[in-house]
Amino acid sequence: MNATVGSANYSYVSARVRSRRAALFDENDYRKLIRMGPGEIARFMEETEYETEMNALGSRYDGVDLIEYALNENLAKHFDDLLRFADGQLNEYIASYLRKFDAWNIKTIIRGVYTDSETQEIQDDLIRAGEFSDAMLDRLVESTSIESVVEQLSKTLYGSALAEAYEVYEETGVLVALENAVDRAFYSDMLGGFPREPSEGTAMYVQLLRAEIDFRNVRNALRLARSGAEIDPSEYFIPDGRLFDADQLRQLTQNPDQLTEYLRDSTYGRDLSEALDELESADGLIDFERALEKALLEYADTMTNRFPLSICPVIAYIRAKEREVDNIRAIARGKQAGLSTDEIEEELVIV
Amino acid sequence: MATDVKPTRKNLMAIEDRIELSERGHDTLEQKRDGLIMEFMDILDQAQDVRSDLSGVYDDAQRKINMARAMDGDIAVRGAAAALKEHPEIVTQSKNIMGVVVPEIESTKVKKSLDERGYGVVGTSARIDEAAGAYEDLIEQIILAAEVETAMKKMLEEIETTKRRVNALEFKLLPDLYESQEYIEQKLEEQEREEIFRLKKIKNKKEEEEDDAVAVESVA
Repeated sequence: MNATVGSANYSYVSARVRSRRAALFDENDYRKLIRMGPGEIARFMEETEYETEMNALGSRYDGVDLIEYALNENLAKHFDDLLRFADGQLNEYIASYLRKFDAWNIKTIIRGVYTDSETQEIQDDLIRAGEFSDAMLDRLVESTSIESVVEQLSKTLYGSALAEAYEVYEETGVLVALENAVDRAFYSDMLGGFPREPSEGTAMYVQLLRAEIDFRNVRNALRLARSGAEIDPSEYFIPDGRLFDADQLRQLTQNPDQLTEYLRDSTYGRDLSEALDELESADGLIDFERALEKALLEYADTMTNRFPLSICPVIAYIRAKEREVDNIRAIARGKQAGLSTDEIEEELVIV
Repeated sequence: MATDVKPTRKNLMAIEDRIELSERGHDTLEQKRDGLIMEFMDILDQAQDVRSDLSGVYDDAQRKINMARAMDGDIAVRGAAAALKEHPEIVTQSKNIMGVVVPEIESTKVKKSLDERGYGVVGTSARIDEAAGAYEDLIEQIILAAEVETAMKKMLEEIETTKRRVNALEFKLLPDLYESQEYIEQKLEEQEREEIFRLKKIKNKKEEEEDDAVAVESVA
């Protein structure tokens, strides 16, 4: 069991995470999966790590839906385990990072309530890997109005942002403001609560988080620029990144070439060179987003190698596990949609 | 049937009037049919282009939504779709092509900017944007195809109706009228011949009576 109680148990959690990381699907597994049909993928998964979830959900879902729900359930189980393993400050850091699933669940509930979806449908789409308890999520799902969801969340970190965005929602009737408020509140909170003089490993973790924010800002700015909509990119800006402030991003968005140059000269220049090449050669942003994702995974792995007894290996594992889920889902859904093996292979991010 | 008409001069005149009217109607309808066919051929070319574009746009939209479902997950795509508030609106008007009323469909709120689609930008990906954009293009193309193909169907129905009318005039009504005309003319000629014959008979009879009277007088 945990060697330390009350303070962070980095060595114990790192060891557990290392063994779980080693059990993730490798290139060979993906190569096998790509050559299977959806039915075979489901059978293959029944003989792996995902067996319990596949069997538990088998009576309710079938086909690729079964695979997707089983992946989400397994993801939640693993991340819950991490919170159980970790103590003290490490637990807080992991919980803070996993709040992204709270943000996901809030958005899913808001969309469900907005479209008068069945309670069970909303429940099915939740990924219970965040901080919110099952009881709280169930209460939110039972809400009959968005106002009620916002009210129930008033005492959480999303409270004030949602209250502000709710006024915009009342004026416009669209969910954009509410969804953006949830995501921005999550990112703002993620960087709070670090000690003034963090250890080197924690400092690197902060850098990793700021890189994630920078990458997301770049992605969103380019999406807004390419959409042709007259939207101020600073409205969607997430503060606390290393690269830009809101004004800088607004200016750079007007000239994508300048933005690319700026990124090449930035601290991420070397890590992002492949992604930037993709961006310059492709019309769409999809290849660029994939390359950013890969860069972020590699960045997390580099941090892990440099600081094995820090939060970094845990975050690298979380990202790698999420990527595994994304990859398996991509293969299953791609096969179901009749995509070719090459097309599916191109979409996978394997580090 | 030609024998149903009374072989009178009045009926002959009426039939002649109907023949003249029908022949004029036949010419007009033939011109209309030819005009409709020419218009139809133009619309057909347009419909073929629209259909082929529609097929391409559909394949593209399907590929993009499959990619989005594969990479972002079905739940994320369904969620983003659920966030949409303003659904496309369609207004139908009508225009007239050679007497055929065809629909003119105008659509609004189909193409949307990123902030009008309802989902948050911060937590979604470019794949969802591309799938949404491709489906907006698909809806526009479907509306265009609906307009052109409905016009094409209506034109076809009208061509068919006009063709049936032309055929009815050409192969049924006009031949019947010609037959009736011929029947009446023959009958009238026959009546005329009978009348002449009758008059001749009377004349002969009168002459015979006069001859008989002269003979009796001379004997007396």
